[in-house]
Formats: sequence, structure tokens, C-alpha cells
Amino acid sequence: MGRSLFRFVDRFELCIAYLFCFSLNLIFDYVKTLSLDSYILKAFMENFMDHQTLIIFLFTFIVVVFHYQMLHRKKTEIYCRILVGDTILNITILYTLECLMILGFVYLLSIVISIYLNFNLTSNLYLVFIFVIYILISAIQVRKYENF
Amino acid sequence: MKIFKFFITKIFLRKMIFSIGMFLLFFMANYTIFTTARLILSTFQGYQEIKIMDQEGTYIANLDPDSNIDMDAIVENGTQKVYDYLNNNFKYAFYTDGFIASLPNNDDMEISFSYMNEEYYKLNQFELSQGTDLNFDYQFNKDKEIPILVGKGLSKTYPVGSTIKIEVPVLEQSMTLKVQGVLKQNAYHSNFYALNSKTYYNFSVFLPVNQEFIEHANIDLQLNGLMDIVILQTTKEKVANLSEIMQDNLGLKFNFFSQKENYDYFNEYYLHSLKIMSIITLILIVIITCLSVWNALVSIRLILKDFTINLLVGLSYSKLKKIFYSYFGILFFINLIVIFLITAYSRYGNWLRKDATFVTYGFFALIGMDWFALLVVFLSDIIIGMIIIEIMLRKIKKIPISLGVLQ
Repeated sequence: MGRSLFRFVDRFELCIAYLFCFSLNLIFDYVKTLSLDSYILKAFMENFMDHQTLIIFLFTFIVVVFHYQMLHRKKTEIYCRILVGDTILNITILYTLECLMILGFVYLLSIVISIYLNFNLTSNLYLVFIFVIYILISAIQVRKYENF
Repeated sequence: MKIFKFFITKIFLRKMIFSIGMFLLFFMANYTIFTTARLILSTFQGYQEIKIMDQEGTYIANLDPDSNIDMDAIVENGTQKVYDYLNNNFKYAFYTDGFIASLPNNDDMEISFSYMNEEYYKLNQFELSQGTDLNFDYQFNKDKEIPILVGKGLSKTYPVGSTIKIEVPVLEQSMTLKVQGVLKQNAYHSNFYALNSKTYYNFSVFLPVNQEFIEHANIDLQLNGLMDIVILQTTKEKVANLSEIMQDNLGLKFNFFSQKENYDYFNEYYLHSLKIMSIITLILIVIITCLSVWNALVSIRLILKDFTINLLVGLSYSKLKKIFYSYFGILFFINLIVIFLITAYSRYGNWLRKDATFVTYGFFALIGMDWFALLVVFLSDIIIGMIIIEIMLRKIKKIPISLGVLQ
């Protein structure tokens, strides 16, 4: 991890971004389980529940923003690492693995919460799929900074 | 203008991801605020509408939730006995709607018939755009004309003074109706038990009913009319007797709620729900604003160099502030347009689906409550925008120009 592109703040930010998306999805699932007596509250919630997937998907854009700004900020560092003997492949693999580890950690956390709240364990799975795609796309982008 | 164009095309749009991120976050915030504002306004409109029923000595009927309707057990004789008792002992406001009939019209809509008696009509004071008020003391006779009011959507096909020969749904016989007036556009009726839910009268026919009419009507009208019947100028004891009569003749238990009980119900049920909705909205807005600030700050990290170079060559902070306000103004404006288009699409969808009870008139079918909600969105955008811009400027000012250029 000594050669990682991530600093504590970066890991923290990515964790929060993942956690926010997973939590939002869990909150939606939780609201679905509530038997609301109030018609007006039901009508209010339906405005969001009917578009749950779209809303969550739009919010995942904050993860895209994170990956984009992260790589942009690290372009000098990537170039310098290559100068001192590192390879772009190693940097890419390490970056991908670290992103996946953070994603895995947050997903496990969401599973624990799901078990505790007795929710469907697979409800967050589609988000993992989306985030993995984001990670792979951003990993491809690392190559862009091979030359400064 | 030139410098603003430069900033938009060469700085903000060069890092498109941040602009898209900001746009999506603002969209979420705007959608949430729009939804809440419209729902709250619609509920208050409904409350204002039922408030006119909330007078001393007024009791509104409500079928007991545990009481099951067995249509086979209810006979016309039973409902007529209830109406006889009502006519002899009470003054009551009668209203029922949702009886669909095929009446040819320019828009090919199915027409909803609403029936009301004089007391209900007086209480609601419907505004007319043309013609005169309904009269209720007509003779119920097959050869006589019954005066009616029509919604705006029917006013071209059936102008004031025209007659319609139609089989009235609840009479199961052909009658001649004469258009006496046209309702104001987007006249509505709120559901007593879901105040935010509305039925629009643009493609409705208002048919005045009197005792004679009710006597000749089928059991559907008689029974439906009892569901929300409003008893006026009476006492708790008298409505308790009425409830017993209804139970004996119909086998249904009706509860009657007074003005105070309805008010308490509103406080307990609606105000509580509205408070929860407002709190949820506020929390969402705070979270989205925080995310927008984060998005703005990470974008500053990447484009700081461009800003500081421009500051070095003479751009003032006040000009930079103006550029930020203009940029965010554009983002908010596009967002408002998107919200407007979504609302227009949803309203226009009612026209496409020929959903006569929800069809509305207005600029792109948007009505007053939509414009009000858009105004609330606009005002909240100003507040959110100011918060983000001030934080961004503070961040830029904190970094020395020389350091910024080196980045």
C-alpha cells in the first residue's frame, strides 16, 4: 500500500460516496417495508419510490466525479512513479484493486446492515455492478497519464 | 460577456463531469422541493375547500371502516326511507360524482356527471365563466329540461343555451339537459379523505338534484350520495338517530364527524404528515447541498490554476463572483426548464390518456399549483446557489495567487 495513489482523505471520500449510495438504496427498501397510514405521506413517498432505480443511478454520479477528480489530481504522481521505475500496468492494477477493496468493504458493511434490518441481501448488488464498471472505466483512464 | 464566455467554454465545460454532477444534484434538489411544495399546496387547497363545511352544527358522514357493503342486501326501498327521514328532519348537502357517460365532444373525452343539491351548491359557491347559476326548483318531468353547468372543455361543443338529449346515467332514462352556465377553467373538487387528491371539472357536467330527482334515481346515486352526505344545522343526538336509521335500513354503520373532530383530525393526521414531509425534504436538501459543495470544491481543486492565472492578469474577485453567479444561474435555469418539461409532460399525459377527471387547462396544461411550486424551486435555488458560490469563493480566496498558479 506504500505505492498506493490513495491517501487517507481519498479513501475516506470514496467510502463516503459508496456508503451514501448503498444507504440511500437501503433507505428506499426500508420505506417500502413501512405500512404508512397517512395517504399524503404515501403519495409523497411514491414520487420517489416509483423512480428508485433512476434516482439511485443519478446519485452514483458522485462516484464518477470522485474517480475523475482523483485521477486528474494524481496525474503528476503517476508520471513521476513511471519515471522512477514503476509501470503503468502496476499502477493501474493497484488502483483497481484498491478501489475494489474499498467497494468490497462498504458492500460488506451494507450486507451487515441488511441482515440486521432483515432486508433482501441482493438489493444492493446492482450498485456493485455499476461501481465495478466505473472502476474499470477509470482504470482505463490511468493510461492517459502515462505521458505528462 | 467575453470573459464569461471564456470561463464557460474553456474552464467549466472543459471539466464537463463537474458541470454534469452539479446539474444532476441540483435536479434532485429541485425535484424534491417541487414535489413537496406542490403536495403541501394541494393539501392546503383541499383543506380550504373542506373548511367551508366546518361550520357549527355541521356533521359529515363517513362509512365505518369495519362496515362491509353488501349491495344485494341493500334495496332501493331502504335508501328511500333514509332520504325520507333526511328530508323530514334535516337540512343536508348532497354531492356525488364519477358517473361516466358518453357525450360527444371535440376532445373525445368521457364525461363525468356530478350530482349535487342546492345546499351543497350554495356552500361551495362555484365560480362561473359564462352563464348563470343553477336553479334547483325545476319540475322533474321527462318533457322538461334540467338546467346544468358544464366544464370549460365542453363549453365549445355545448355553449350556454344549448340542449343535450342524453340517457342520464343514474336515471336510466332519456332526459333533456339545458346548459345554463360554464364553470371556470380548472374548477376542482378535493377528496374529503385525501385532501391532496383532486378531481378537475373541465370535462364534467353538474346536474342539480332535488328530492324528486333523488326519488327517481337508481340505488347507485342514492347510496353514493349518502357516503359523504353533510348534515347541516343539527346536533350530535340528531345525527346519532340518523346513524341508527341508516343502520336499520341499509345495514351499514355511518359515523358523523363534527367541525371540531374534523379539525382535530386535520391537526393530528395532515399537519403531522406535512411536518414529516417537510423534515424529510429539508434533510434531503441539506444532504444534496453538502454533496454539491463537495462537488464544487473538488472542481475548484482542479481548475484553481485557471482561476488564479486569470486573477493574476487582472480579474477581480467581484467579477469572478459575477461569473460564478451567472454560471450557476444558467445551471438552475436549465434545471427549471427540465422540471417544467417533466411537469408539462405529466399534465399533457392526462390529455393523451383521455383521463377526463385530471385534464387541466393552462400554459402547457400547467396550473396554479405547478407555477407556485416552480417559484418555490426558483427561490430555493437562489439560496442553495448563494451557499455554494460563497463557499467556492472563500476557498479560492484562501489560496494565495502565487500558489494557485503553481498548481
